[in-house]
Order: sequence, then structure tokens, then C-alpha cells
Amino acid sequence: MSRLLLHFGCALPGCCLAAGYLQGKLGVDPEKTIIWETGIWAFNLLILVVLLPRAARWARWPMLVQYRRAVGLWAFTYVTGHLLAFITFLLGWDIFRLGEELLKRSYILVGFIAWITLMPLAITSTKRWVQRLGPGWKRLHQGVYIAVVLAAVHYLMTVRSDYAWAGSYAMVVILILALRFAMWRQTRGPAPLSAATRKPATTD
Amino acid sequence: MTKTTDPITYQRRRLLVATLGVTALSTFGYLRYGSRQTESISTAGASTSRTDDADARHSQVAVTTKHAATHYNNAYEFGWNKTDPARHAASFHLRPWTVTFDGLVERPGTFDVDQLMGLPFSQLEERIYDFRCVEAWSMVIPYNGRPLAEILKSVQPLSSARYVAFTSVYRPEEMPGQASPFSTLEWPYVEALTIEEAMHPLTFATFGVYGDPELPQNGMPFRITVPWKYGFKSAKFITRISFTADRPPATWHQETPAEYGWYSNVYPDISHPRWSQASERRILGEGQIERIPTRPYNGYGEAVAHLYPGDPQQYW
Repeated sequence: MSRLLLHFGCALPGCCLAAGYLQGKLGVDPEKTIIWETGIWAFNLLILVVLLPRAARWARWPMLVQYRRAVGLWAFTYVTGHLLAFITFLLGWDIFRLGEELLKRSYILVGFIAWITLMPLAITSTKRWVQRLGPGWKRLHQGVYIAVVLAAVHYLMTVRSDYAWAGSYAMVVILILALRFAMWRQTRGPAPLSAATRKPATTD
Repeated sequence: MTKTTDPITYQRRRLLVATLGVTALSTFGYLRYGSRQTESISTAGASTSRTDDADARHSQVAVTTKHAATHYNNAYEFGWNKTDPARHAASFHLRPWTVTFDGLVERPGTFDVDQLMGLPFSQLEERIYDFRCVEAWSMVIPYNGRPLAEILKSVQPLSSARYVAFTSVYRPEEMPGQASPFSTLEWPYVEALTIEEAMHPLTFATFGVYGDPELPQNGMPFRITVPWKYGFKSAKFITRISFTADRPPATWHQETPAEYGWYSNVYPDISHPRWSQASERRILGEGQIERIPTRPYNGYGEAVAHLYPGDPQQYW
């Protein structure tokens, strides 16, 4: 039931965009709306993916961790949609120009690398791959942190003058990384005493 | 599995679900699609304007719909989002409005905007110009006004005046973009032309678009339109015109000189660092968008190319 709700929630922005496009309800420049919205929803879901394990631990709700895969695949879907919208509306499927844009415009390259980073993660998201890769799977899937950082950089690089939104997203990413780093230090920290003193802070 | 009988755990889960729910609903329902839906409702209302006189006159040329041209604007004074100008236009005061002429000029002074029109608004000339934004989109818009040269000549610039500087209005209480702490632009907005560019017959002192003088989102009550340059060169909400001997600063050029040239003539082969200028998306309204090649000087080369002798690279 909750899984169904999750899929519904993740599909909703995309469905609204598609319906809005068909009905002409995406404003004066629907092409730009689609590129913008697919990008922002890819970013939202990427943030959700990396926040899920933190949230699960905080609320002592281990079930939440199971949803990481579904949300992650939805995030990849939106990133792919964002890229396809860019190729369709801004490049008109001129693949030669895609190469040119990647070489010339670093923000496009950064976004493209984020997509490339996520691709092996999406491919190896099945149970079979988890078993096959063993402990390496976990390490590989830390790549989502690289992707979310690239997304923040990509967004910041597109700004012309007002950094309010892009800056807020970047702040959230920095916060997530700080949390991740704190947890990493806690699990690897050598002194058991310091780990014990830190524990109440993180479970709070 | 953790035991779930702990009341703190329940509390946190409830809080988590509530946070997620509220965040999702607010971003999804209000901030994003909500505003677009109100916009689409007004699209439905404005689409009737296709049958009115002005649009019938323009039916020979593919003119952008009035709704598109008045709800998709770059006026960073009102905010960076293209829907911000239309949203904040209603609370902007168009009158009283005066324009001050100063600097290297025989007859400096402050004039009322109605005086600058010279004629009643309804009798002003209408010109349909291609408007090319630096962001690689364009529109076809009917402008109402008179050649800027007529106005400039009436104050008699001195022969030492080589540049004309335009200063836009500064009203942070009516223009939220000017009050935003996140904006990197300095206010008020300033732009400038050479005296030859300002005096060129194509440079248009504009008091309205689509026969409508009450559209702050399009830069009213008084802006200029310089059709062979990227849109940001056409200063909006002008309150001061100064004649100078030295090259005056220009807002975008000052903010990011590597991306926005001082001349900013439309040259399809000189790309913006972040996108190509070789083609443009022509926005005609009601979802109609065509990709067309961009022409040198936005198609006005025959009339203006002589202003730029030598290598165009120095006039980008």
C-alpha cells in the first residue's frame, strides 16, 4: 500500500507535466518549463534518496530504507527525462551539437556526468546485482553522493543573477554531506569514548 | 527491527511523514504548478484578444500573442522568474513619471513622460520589431512610440557627447527583485548606447506595446527598443538619460563581462559562453514555438551594419 503511494507520488510530477503539455498549461514557454521541472524533480528525488537512510535511523523506522531503490530509480528517470528534454527542445536531436555543447559548456558537462554516474547505479539496482557485487555494491552506490553534488553544481552554474533557489539547494546538499561525514566518522572513529559521547547527539 | 512501542519513535515518524507531506504539497501544489495553473486560466481569458482589432491588423505577420509577450518577461527588477514581472505589475505605479535629461546637453531638464510622447498615446507610431533575447528566444512584438532621436534632438546634445546613458527606476518597495538579498545585480539598472546608436532611426522610444500603455512588465511607462541588439540593451522604466563623453557602465556587462558584451549586437556566430546564439526559439504564444536561425544584427544589418566598421568581434 505505502509502496503504491510512493510510486504514485514519484510519478505525479511527470504525469502533471505530460498532461500540462498536452493541454497547453505549462505557461508561455512549455519547452523551458519541462526542462526546468524535470531537472528540479530529479534533484528533489536525489535529495530524498540520500535523506532516506538518515530519516530511517532518526525515526527508528528501518522499513524506509527499503524505498531507496524505488526513489533512486525514479530520480534516474527524471534525470533521463531532463536530458531528453534538453536534447529535444534545445538541440532538436542534433547529436553533433550535443558533443559540441558538452565540450564547450561546462554546466552541461557537469549535468551529463551526473547522469553517467547514476547509470551504473540504476543498472545494478536489482537483487541479482546486489548479490553478485557483494560488498562492492554498497561502495558503488555511494556514487549517489557524487551525483547529488554534481546536481548542485550544475544548478548553480545555470544561474544568471538570483542565487536564492540554487543556493538553497546547494545548502541542503552541504548539510546532507555533513551528516554523512558525521556518521562516517562515528562508525570509523577509533576512540569508543568519543563515539559514546556523540551517540546521543545523532539519535536526538 | 526496532521495537515500535516507544512513544518517541511514533512521534518522530509522525513528524517525518508530516514534514514530507507538507514539503511535497507546498513545492508541488503551490510553488510550482499552482502559479502555472493561474497563468493558464488567464491564457484562456486572453486568447479572446486574438479577435480584437490590433491582432487582426497583424495577421499578415506572425506576431507573438499579447498574452505571451506580457507574461514571459525578463525584468529582474520584479524577480528572476519570467512570470514575476506580470505578477508584480499590478502594484507598480505608472504615474507620475518624469525623465531627467542631463550631462553634455544644451537644454537639460526634467520632463513628464506624457510630454515626451509628443502626441496622444493613441496617435503614436506602431512598429513591429523582432525582439531577440540573449537567452536565445525571440518574439515579434508591436511597439508604440516614436524615434528616440526626435526626443534626444529636442534637448540638443553637445558635440562632445559620444554616449547616451539610460538609468531605470529604483523602487524596491514596488519591485521585489530590487529588494532581494540574493540578486547579484546592482540597482538601479543602467544601460548605454553610442550617440550614433541612440540617434539611429530604428532606435525607438517606446510608450506601449500592443496598443497598451499600462504594461510595467514590458518596461512601461517609458523604455527604449533597440532591435538589432540583445533585449537587455533596451532599457526599461527609464527615469534618466545622460549624455557623456566616456563610455558609461551597463548593468549586465558590469556583472558578467565575459558573458554580456557592452555592445551586445546580435551576432549568430559569437556564442554566449553558456549557450549557442546560432539559432533562436521563436515564441509565438499558445505553446507555439519555432526554431529558426538567428540573423546578424537580428535581421536589421542593412540599416545598422555601417555603424560597426571593421571586425565585428570588437562590437560583440
